[in-house]
Amino acid sequence: MSHLFTRLAAASFVLATAAQAETVAVITPYLAQPGTQFYVEAFQARAGERGWEVNVIDTAGDVAAVISRIEDMVTANVDAIVINVDPAQVGAGLQTAAEAGIPVVGMDAGNDPLVAANITSNGYAMATETAVYVANRIGGAGNVVMFTFDPFPPVQVRGVMADAVFGNYPDITVLDRITPDVSDGGIADSRARMEAILAANPEPGAISAVWAAWDQPALGALQAIEAAGRTGEGIVITGIDANPQAREAIAAGGNFEASVAQDFAGIGTAAADTVARLLAGETLVNRVIYVPTVLVTAANAAE
Amino acid sequence: MTELTLENVTRRYGTVAALDGVSLRLRAGEVHALMGENGAGKSTLIRLLAGLEAPDAGGFRRNGGALQTDAGPGLRVLHQELTVVPALSVAENMHLGAPFPTRLGLIDWRRLNARAAGALLRLGPAHIDPAVPISRLSPGDRMLARIAATLLAEGPPPWLYVLDEPTAALTAAEVDRLMAVIAELRAAGAGILYVSHRMDEVMRIASHVTVLRDGRLISSQPLAATNEAGIIRDMTGRDLSELFPPREPPPAAPAILQVERLAAGAVRDININLQPGEILGLAGLSGSGRGVLLQAILGAVPLQAGRVRLAGQPRARSIAGAWAQGLAYVPRERRSEGLMLLQAIADNIALPHLGRLARLPGLADRPAAARLVERESARVRLRARGPAQAVGELSGGNQQKVLFARALGGAPRVLLLDEPTRGVDVGARFDIYRLIHALAQTGTAVLLASSDLPELLGLSHRIAVLQNGRLAHQLPNDGLTEAQLLTLCYATKAPA
Amino acid sequence: MTRLRRFASLLGMAAIIAFFAWQLPDTFLTARNWLNISQQVSMLAVVAVTMTVVMAMGDFDLSVGAMASLSGVVAATLFVAGWPVPQALAAALALGLLGGLVNGLLVSVIGILPFVATLATLTIYSGAAFLVSGGRTIFGRDIPQAFSDFARGGVQIGVANGRPLLLPALTLVALAVAAMCWVVLEQTNYGRRLYAIGGNAQAARLAGVRVTLLRLSAFGFTGLGAAIAGLMYAARVASANPTQGDGVMLTAIAAVFLGMTLTENGQPRVLATLAGVIVLGVLDNGLTQMNVNSYLREVMIGAIILAAVTLSALSRRRR
Repeated sequence: MSHLFTRLAAASFVLATAAQAETVAVITPYLAQPGTQFYVEAFQARAGERGWEVNVIDTAGDVAAVISRIEDMVTANVDAIVINVDPAQVGAGLQTAAEAGIPVVGMDAGNDPLVAANITSNGYAMATETAVYVANRIGGAGNVVMFTFDPFPPVQVRGVMADAVFGNYPDITVLDRITPDVSDGGIADSRARMEAILAANPEPGAISAVWAAWDQPALGALQAIEAAGRTGEGIVITGIDANPQAREAIAAGGNFEASVAQDFAGIGTAAADTVARLLAGETLVNRVIYVPTVLVTAANAAE
Repeated sequence: MTELTLENVTRRYGTVAALDGVSLRLRAGEVHALMGENGAGKSTLIRLLAGLEAPDAGGFRRNGGALQTDAGPGLRVLHQELTVVPALSVAENMHLGAPFPTRLGLIDWRRLNARAAGALLRLGPAHIDPAVPISRLSPGDRMLARIAATLLAEGPPPWLYVLDEPTAALTAAEVDRLMAVIAELRAAGAGILYVSHRMDEVMRIASHVTVLRDGRLISSQPLAATNEAGIIRDMTGRDLSELFPPREPPPAAPAILQVERLAAGAVRDININLQPGEILGLAGLSGSGRGVLLQAILGAVPLQAGRVRLAGQPRARSIAGAWAQGLAYVPRERRSEGLMLLQAIADNIALPHLGRLARLPGLADRPAAARLVERESARVRLRARGPAQAVGELSGGNQQKVLFARALGGAPRVLLLDEPTRGVDVGARFDIYRLIHALAQTGTAVLLASSDLPELLGLSHRIAVLQNGRLAHQLPNDGLTEAQLLTLCYATKAPA
Repeated sequence: MTRLRRFASLLGMAAIIAFFAWQLPDTFLTARNWLNISQQVSMLAVVAVTMTVVMAMGDFDLSVGAMASLSGVVAATLFVAGWPVPQALAAALALGLLGGLVNGLLVSVIGILPFVATLATLTIYSGAAFLVSGGRTIFGRDIPQAFSDFARGGVQIGVANGRPLLLPALTLVALAVAAMCWVVLEQTNYGRRLYAIGGNAQAARLAGVRVTLLRLSAFGFTGLGAAIAGLMYAARVASANPTQGDGVMLTAIAAVFLGMTLTENGQPRVLATLAGVIVLGVLDNGLTQMNVNSYLREVMIGAIILAAVTLSALSRRRR
């Protein structure tokens, strides 16, 4: 509530404050989503420390409105713009900002020549971390089932890294590389596909691990294993993203052993730091800035 | 005996005096008719009586007491357009504003219906079932239910009923019932201020008649001291003899409208031939099928049998085609069937003629439409601020003239009129009669459906009488009297 | 009274513009900002002016947002299937026209209330958009460059601050659609008859207006307009997903209602609707520039719509 009043007060004095402090606009269609809120709050906290005026604009799912608001912010001559949407969809707005010489920073947005820097998690690293976890847990030998989704580029790179890790162990065999139907989120179809594989490989120990490129197939595989009564075989399951449902499963200490959490708050903070570098006149050589991720296991799942 | 005197009552709107020094006396136990054309000040007087406004000068004196700015308690004003809650029953509508009888905190439906039935019975109309939804009642029965409802309210019943155009929407039979109820109220000691355009009703029930013109009191006297001609002269400043222009027989010519064995809706086996220049009056009781017959001829009600021919050609299948062939129609319900009330006079008049006026196919020709509107507005003597004025702001008579202007815009060969002077003041009525007469003289055939017997007898060359959807009589209008015509409407065979 | 109401509404609109000009002296009243606004409201304008056509008859169409989404994903899916851009766009527009006529059929021939009929088709069209797209956003290389470049292009009309000033292509599309609807409603007999139906459908029928046919066909305008807006949206964001047009429906109806407070007798008219659209666009643009919280902005816009319509309703009651 006090937030609202601050905004109201800020509205009246926008010109006065603009003369003294840098103004930065954060524009997103997804503020209602939990991850985005973490980014934005951390960004605001760091921006507050630096004394910036931050204008957070939520277009409530309307991507075209993101373009419109970028145009408005360019007109209002803000010092920098932060977006949290695929740059390919808001190219028209990025063009306007580029023409006006206003830097645009992406928070987990995607790479684009018109985005000065994109702050995100390293998908290659996350996939490598879980794939290596699997390889180590099964002693570098056994049959692994992979769940991947190549049509979506950020997930596709995860599959590539896991392929490389498992390929490097001569005693690891990839039993199947499954692309589940994701129209219902991925859990149900992954479960069905896993049940089929379990039925085809009935003897204990025939399946050593399930590596999933994100959490939903991992959860589906877990359900299939539980339903088949084969939880005692020590099948290791890993996911990526560490969503709340996955954390719960990991904390329970079952077959689902590990996932990787992105540091949303860290992305927000790093985005603010990147804006500061740009405002200081620095030219960024590396346009993709990775924020470290955290492996989530039973030891830290409850955090 | 209760009485209320108005002394030099004046009410101004801006610089215009809607009422200018009007004095008159209203007494319990008498039916007092208030007459005047639209704009004469009747509505303002009613608003003052109802307490909606206060006079700028003068006031009311009750039973010789002090001069006051309001008429005091015991008045009940019933407007011409009654508001009812259609989904509720008659009994519930009658109890709106009065406490519902309850038992154990719940509505006691039996007692509710019994009380409503009792009130209806006291006034006479026992045919109304209080338990049915009021939307099933005819306008006349709704009016009766509303009057009976005044007996249910707490406290003493009203001593004065103000009935504002109560018969505007009623059929002849419903008017008869209302008259009976008014007589009942008067016998019970109540006074009635009866505001109406209808001379015949006023002559039937009023004991006293007051005429306003342009906000001034012209006359207020016992009915016995004047007559119909005198009242009309007071209202209009003109003579009765002008009301119906003398009619001449149409020249013999082949029929322009032929209706052969037509059946549609509740109407059966209709044969009508109409010559150019001929006015055929269509009489019949309410529900005899006059309105359906006109709409069937127009093509708005599908024919089940028979055919309609215009100048020997089959009538077009669509209503638009019928208008283009020279049929024109003035509907009975001008608000619901006739006018776009919020829209401009010009748009209302030009509507059926747009296609004919188009410059290029489909493109509206506004100048041509404006010329047509100007010509027809002048012909019907429309009184309005201009063609852009919304029709809803006009008086009833001028609204009716808009419908006539629309009908005449296409130079019709056959004009279908359904109750053309319903709810229309005497001045506009003059204009409309003159218009119908002039049209007939220039060769337009007119089919005139009306429940106003003097109107039918005053205008028609021939009279056709409908009974239960069938054409019972067709006869020339030679020396026919109102009583004879009324008998024909009821009788099954022609009088000897 | 009518004049007072129209005057008050106009005065309110002028006051909004004056307020922003005062608060944002350097940026608000610039050609670039107004060209931006014109582009930002172009999709809304297309939906709102075509909505005006059915609202002239006293009907409305709730399915336009879903149809906008559907036309976008249909065109994008056809791009993916290798259709050339013109054919894919034509197919999406044809689908919009058909969807509109289905609404018209339900409302006029079958006689379902517009609210119910178009609520049902809203659900159907929205479901179809999910079916066609598989629930995904179609973007990237699947969207032809020529298609998305259109939304970034325009006609150069000058130079400001060393940058070219473009009259945006989307603005030109919106102007063309608005001009077409204006001609249809104001200059053709078809349009005059639609207003007559809106005034009193029964009276119009008895005066020879083919009410059923006209009502049916008029819904084709909203369907086609929604499809055009959906394609404009897809071009602007260079992508298509099955929900992206959904928000436009309520805003379009709000724009028409705002416009109606400006017209004589409170009728929906094309130019008044455009004024309503511009007011909504100006509010979004100005309040954003003033750093007003996004959610507070929505509350304020809703309150302003309510204020305008309340004023209009009160003045009508006084009459």
